[in-house]
Amino acid sequence: MKGGDGVKSRKWKKIMLYVVAVIWLLATIIPLLYVFISSFKTNDEMYRSALNLPIQWKIENYAVANELGHSFRSIGNSLLVAISTTIIEIIVAMMAAYAISRKRHVFFARHAYMLFVIGVMVPIHSTLIPISSMAADWGLKNNFGYLVLVYVCFNLAQGIFLFTGFLDSVSREIDEAAIIDGCSDFRLLRSILLPICKPIIATEAIFSFIYAYGELVFSLTLISEPAKYTVPRAMLSFWGEFSAQMGPQYAFIILSVIPVVIIYVLFHNQIQSGVMSGAIKG
Amino acid sequence: MKKKDYWIAAIFLLPAVLLLIVFVIYPIISNVILSFHSWNGIFSAKRTFVGMENYRVILSDKSFWRSLTNAGIFLFVGFLIQMPLSYALALLVTAKIRGTKVFRTVYYLPVILGTTIVAVMWKNLINPNYGAIIEILKSLGLNSLAFDWLNTPGLNVWIVALVNCWKSAAFNMLIFCAGLVTIPDALNEAAVIDGCTTWQRIRYITLPLSKNSFKVYSILCITGCIKQFDMIWAMTGGGPNATSSTPGILLYLNAYSFKLMGRSAAIAIILLILGVALSICCNRIFRQEEY
Repeated sequence: MKGGDGVKSRKWKKIMLYVVAVIWLLATIIPLLYVFISSFKTNDEMYRSALNLPIQWKIENYAVANELGHSFRSIGNSLLVAISTTIIEIIVAMMAAYAISRKRHVFFARHAYMLFVIGVMVPIHSTLIPISSMAADWGLKNNFGYLVLVYVCFNLAQGIFLFTGFLDSVSREIDEAAIIDGCSDFRLLRSILLPICKPIIATEAIFSFIYAYGELVFSLTLISEPAKYTVPRAMLSFWGEFSAQMGPQYAFIILSVIPVVIIYVLFHNQIQSGVMSGAIKG
Repeated sequence: MKKKDYWIAAIFLLPAVLLLIVFVIYPIISNVILSFHSWNGIFSAKRTFVGMENYRVILSDKSFWRSLTNAGIFLFVGFLIQMPLSYALALLVTAKIRGTKVFRTVYYLPVILGTTIVAVMWKNLINPNYGAIIEILKSLGLNSLAFDWLNTPGLNVWIVALVNCWKSAAFNMLIFCAGLVTIPDALNEAAVIDGCTTWQRIRYITLPLSKNSFKVYSILCITGCIKQFDMIWAMTGGGPNATSSTPGILLYLNAYSFKLMGRSAAIAIILLILGVALSICCNRIFRQEEY
């Protein structure tokens, strides 16, 4: 009898779990699906009923989004900024994490970690004015290189934090063996530790890519030329100027989401395993 | 050997430290100095020393306190809605049921979209004229709810905070997941054998062992609330009448709309002190509990 009850209640528990899981699944997917469908509608259809399917799927919305909102140009800009940010950030953070994790006997390497941890606590906005006046002084407004370096800097703390945690969990015997074999520090990091760190690098890469692709505050202050707008800038100005173009607005959202989704689909297994391996520790 | 290590460590740390000095340490020092001056942001214009005047004006300014209250709303939603939600999702996707991988992947979608995209998307969804949510409410006969939520002071911040919740639930889910997967299965199995119910198991095994994740979450949530900018800027622009501003928005508006650089710098410094102080407090609270 008792055993039967247990099986029954376990079954109910499972059903409950699935119900909750599916509810949140729908809560995430329906808004996205709605945006996708609406991107093919005309304004009339949208005002008549937001919930109906379009009578005629209007692909022109995508062309309009590109013509008026310059979606492709801004996506290109965002991709350029995001990819360079990600690559530079990973190299810089990895080097620093290596020094912190493997050269702990050097006094300043130990203290450097604290410096970066404090860096996490600094609200980005506290540096906004000086960073933009520096850009103005050096003639670096509208310069992607400068923007990328700013992005790199504000992702560094997180990268160093994750990489140091991961490197600390990698056995030191590997590098001792490599050093005895005459391996230099650069080679040890590049050829041996880098492949081991792949899951955590993929995780951090996705984080910093997403950040740089959609960051708003610094692109507001550092970029003023419309030709150099990144996605969020272009999107907000499109919304402001052509608020009546609803279909194209949705089309713009869908277009700008495509690159991130592709990257996510390619790397999502890595991100899950990176985080699941307990990389985000206190 | 030892000396070589010094050089290697220095070279490897150099790029990171340089970036930190140029983009964090120098700006903070320069902001501290600026916060005692009055300046209109034009390079050639003179900066006049005004002492504590900027701080006095801000601390007696109602809109600054309102912006702090708004940050408090984010904090409230973050702890009372987002934290339980994220934790429940984390329990869900680490539960031993089929399809958790699909759930996890889909749940994470809003995170990868980025703040601005999510913000404009929801702004359209709740638009009073053509938004889907409003239309659903209308069709349910709730016409009284069909007004412009984002233009209603008092309500708009809550709406933005909830959208923020929708967006980052899955990110925080991962933080809790990372803690949950380190709990050994043997503990749960032992509890089941001893006749524990599911709730008892969560209450006495899972929750206490997730303390570290809660600490990480609290620090991220608190510092995140102070930093809140993108979501609000894209959805309400801080308006109407600065009722939905956060300190970040106020800082931005002071600097780039009103050209009051000194005052903006003073807000920046207050934010900085607040952020560091709250982070340290958080660390303390959780450390004390450990002993």
